[in-house]
Amino acid sequence: MPILAKWYDFRDLGNAIGALQDQILDWGAPDWVPYVVSGIIAVVGILLWLLVSQIVFIWIERRVIGLMHNRIGPNRVGPMGLLQGVADAIKLLLKEAITARATDKILFWAAPIAIFIPAMVVFAVIPFGEGMVLSDLNVGVLFFLAIGSINTIAVFAAGWASNNKYALIGAMRQIGMLISYELVQVFALLSVVILVGSMRMGDIVAWQSGNDVWMFAIQPLAFVAFIIAGLVEVNRSPADLSEAESELTAGYHTEYSGIKFGFFYAAEYFATFALSGVIVTLFMGGWTLWGAEEWVPGFLIFVTKLYAVFFLFIWARGTLPRLRTDQLMSFSWKFLLELMFVQILVIGLETLIWREQAYDASTVLPIFGVINWVLAIGLVVLWARMLGHGTPRTAGKRATLTQEIGKIYYEGAAGPGA
Amino acid sequence: MDDTGTVVAFWAMAIMTVGSALMVGAVRNLIHAVIFLVLSFLGVAGLYITLSADFVGVVQILIYSGAISILVIFAIVLTPRAGRDNSETSMLVPGVVIAGLVATMLSYAAIETDWNISSREGFEETAQAIGEALLDKYILPFEVAGALMLVAMLGAIIIVRAEGAESETVEVEEVEE
Amino acid sequence: MKLKTEPYVINVGPQHPSTHGVFRLRLTMDGEKIIDAEMIIGYLHRSMEKLAEERTYTQNIPFTDRTDYIAAMTGNLAYVMAVEKLMEIEVPERANWLRTIMAELQRLASHAMAGGTFANDCGTWQTPVMHMIRDREKVLDLFEMACGARLTTNYMRIGGVSRDIPPEFLPAMTKLLKELPDRIDEYEDLLLNNEIIIARSRGIAVLTPEEAIAYSLSGPMLRGSGVAWDLRKADPYAAYDKVEFDIAVGTKGDAYDRFAVRMAEMRQSVRILEQCAEMIPEGPIHARLQTATVQPIGNPVAPLVVRPPEGEAYARIESPRGELGFYIVSDGGPSPYRFHIRAPSYINLTPLKKMTVGMTVADAVVVLGSVDIVVGEVDR
Repeated sequence: MPILAKWYDFRDLGNAIGALQDQILDWGAPDWVPYVVSGIIAVVGILLWLLVSQIVFIWIERRVIGLMHNRIGPNRVGPMGLLQGVADAIKLLLKEAITARATDKILFWAAPIAIFIPAMVVFAVIPFGEGMVLSDLNVGVLFFLAIGSINTIAVFAAGWASNNKYALIGAMRQIGMLISYELVQVFALLSVVILVGSMRMGDIVAWQSGNDVWMFAIQPLAFVAFIIAGLVEVNRSPADLSEAESELTAGYHTEYSGIKFGFFYAAEYFATFALSGVIVTLFMGGWTLWGAEEWVPGFLIFVTKLYAVFFLFIWARGTLPRLRTDQLMSFSWKFLLELMFVQILVIGLETLIWREQAYDASTVLPIFGVINWVLAIGLVVLWARMLGHGTPRTAGKRATLTQEIGKIYYEGAAGPGA
Repeated sequence: MDDTGTVVAFWAMAIMTVGSALMVGAVRNLIHAVIFLVLSFLGVAGLYITLSADFVGVVQILIYSGAISILVIFAIVLTPRAGRDNSETSMLVPGVVIAGLVATMLSYAAIETDWNISSREGFEETAQAIGEALLDKYILPFEVAGALMLVAMLGAIIIVRAEGAESETVEVEEVEE
Repeated sequence: MKLKTEPYVINVGPQHPSTHGVFRLRLTMDGEKIIDAEMIIGYLHRSMEKLAEERTYTQNIPFTDRTDYIAAMTGNLAYVMAVEKLMEIEVPERANWLRTIMAELQRLASHAMAGGTFANDCGTWQTPVMHMIRDREKVLDLFEMACGARLTTNYMRIGGVSRDIPPEFLPAMTKLLKELPDRIDEYEDLLLNNEIIIARSRGIAVLTPEEAIAYSLSGPMLRGSGVAWDLRKADPYAAYDKVEFDIAVGTKGDAYDRFAVRMAEMRQSVRILEQCAEMIPEGPIHARLQTATVQPIGNPVAPLVVRPPEGEAYARIESPRGELGFYIVSDGGPSPYRFHIRAPSYINLTPLKKMTVGMTVADAVVVLGSVDIVVGEVDR
């Protein structure tokens, strides 16, 4: 409970909004006006925060990757290059938006918008603080999955409307990958939902703060699988084959220039923010920090955690090479999905035992955590060995050194992509 | 149908659904037709949500707009005549006539039937109710549907597999010459 | 129910962020698989071989910088060895050791670039490239110390080298050699053991040793297929018969093994350079030629015009890409009658069609990265 419940108690912005709503009612407006006004304020607030975050993170990403590359990132535009994001945005706005003659005009124009919308809409169900959620749906988790699946149509529309075979290949690859990883996402989130017993995001955060534990400590496999599946869904490295610079130019958004390309670029960032937001909410405690939310505003905690998860994504982008589409898909179908099946079974059993016997949470959860960690590590290692990864045949190997001229050391080839 | 919000939402969703469905039949380009189909699915999802069926509404988005439309798209893209104009067919007039007759029949049935208004209050937790029903009362259809889907997937794999193996041997011979 | 598909043609290049230079590859694809690959070269043809016939032998040395612009020193070396073979000049000891030092430093720089760009083709967003180019920069600093230029060094002369190394060269080189083995270990650990790089390059572009020999491959492509053939040991030149080193071979003949071979060769180069730093003798850096004119700085420098006797000579060295050979025919005049470059990148591209057919486009890029071409050599 916040100490002061006045409108200037910014630890919970709901106080200010509540005061505004009362004020509007005092002015004699009908019942639905405060509701609409607070909704509009929330939407505008989220959008502004997203845009500002994106502009700042363009700079952060490029500096951080520059550090990983042992070089300085952008440092010319503005002090220390801080205005780089603004400069990029202005450049994209001023560029000529070339539309090839043979494209499908309506779809071409509508595709960037269609890609942008899911990324923003997901923020409606993410709780930024206590009661600071735009729309506390009963099926919040499922909503995130559903909106993410609209992405596939938008990607296809972008690729098809370009009337360009590279773009179409990129779009088809992307759709294949998206479909493959949707199931993994669903199962990872499902295991969280089973344990908590509710699909509402606010309930999951309350469960985590009530039991003083972050979900990823209890379900590491779901956490890792969701991060990987999310990386693929938002089309970020190591899964950005469809927009890989060193492959087929830029994949499904090859033909887009100017602000339309800016939309694709921004949509990728927004989708990554949304993904980070969902990860923080479901696996990392949301806006709670073991009681610190009494003093520090919940939304600051949430945003800090979100930025930390986003940093993880930047790190992965700077470090890992890119996987081929078919390798990614086979990883999903042959590896991750099987692990997720086992995970669901185990979680279901654990939840059943917990509910039936009505044990105390603080005794049962550490046991579950230990079981899940052991299971996660054991399963990953075992299954990888069974599938042939990490064996001497496919392990890294340095070249053999020799002094004899003319001798042949060939041992026979491994199959492709072993 | 109480407050203005629900009425406005209903009419918006209804116009979107019916309008898009009409456009599916009316546009010439097949891919445009699919996009309008997606829009009409989204409209139906909106209608579900106005009826407080939140789970079904969201699942409608997930399954229909997310997966079934991709299925339709793949089917269109893989047919050789995907680029043809939708109106170049001799079935145009008979199609419209039959569709009109079916629509009239259904509307008549919908308007004239004495629908039974349920006395139960709305469900708060539709997801939970659906889950319990699926695993309690309707477990047999659930399992049968699962088995059916498994058989369909196996069938698809077998069809593709046999073709793939065949075409691979052909390719290898071509390269080796 | 057979699905009727139609193959389509896409162009990889000539302007492309990933091909190593202006190089065009026409791929006929069926779905995602490549069924035919045709390479179209000549975008960088500068008619060096014809231009060389108008210039004197010494004026041709800068041409050899620019054929393989990633490894200029070895280009110089092969050419001057060919002319020396024609004129039967005996190169002094110190010059031979200096040539060895420069060639091995050049091999380090070139393999750093090749390894980095290979990892880049596997999709690593330039992180390994940036780190490997850091080492290449240090080597290029050494070159600048020695001859004033980083890339187009123009260092060797007919009969020796153009100038002696300054006294701070060897300590700087030794300092660099102390840091390098750790860095090469770091690269090998990070890149060779990386699951994704293994998945992207194992089993791609496999060539059996019989095929490699039949296609006249050389360099890391040949050694990657398991054939232990290195011209530095098989046909020693400069000071290579006086230093100890090993030949690196791969065992599976795929892109991964070629990458591993290049990394191992970097280590062997460090070994050779350490021995050179200790064993290099004092002495003249240029042979006394009959037509030599002594310039005021005191060191005999290369004569401006040499007239080799009539005849032909072929000299070959192990450049970082393979066997680089120069075939010179002289008619007794100041310019060569025929100046032919046996470019390793060009010959190594012969099995490109065989290696790419059956793969996907993403793999085609990896294949091209593993061949490690320099288009300047391919087109001359």
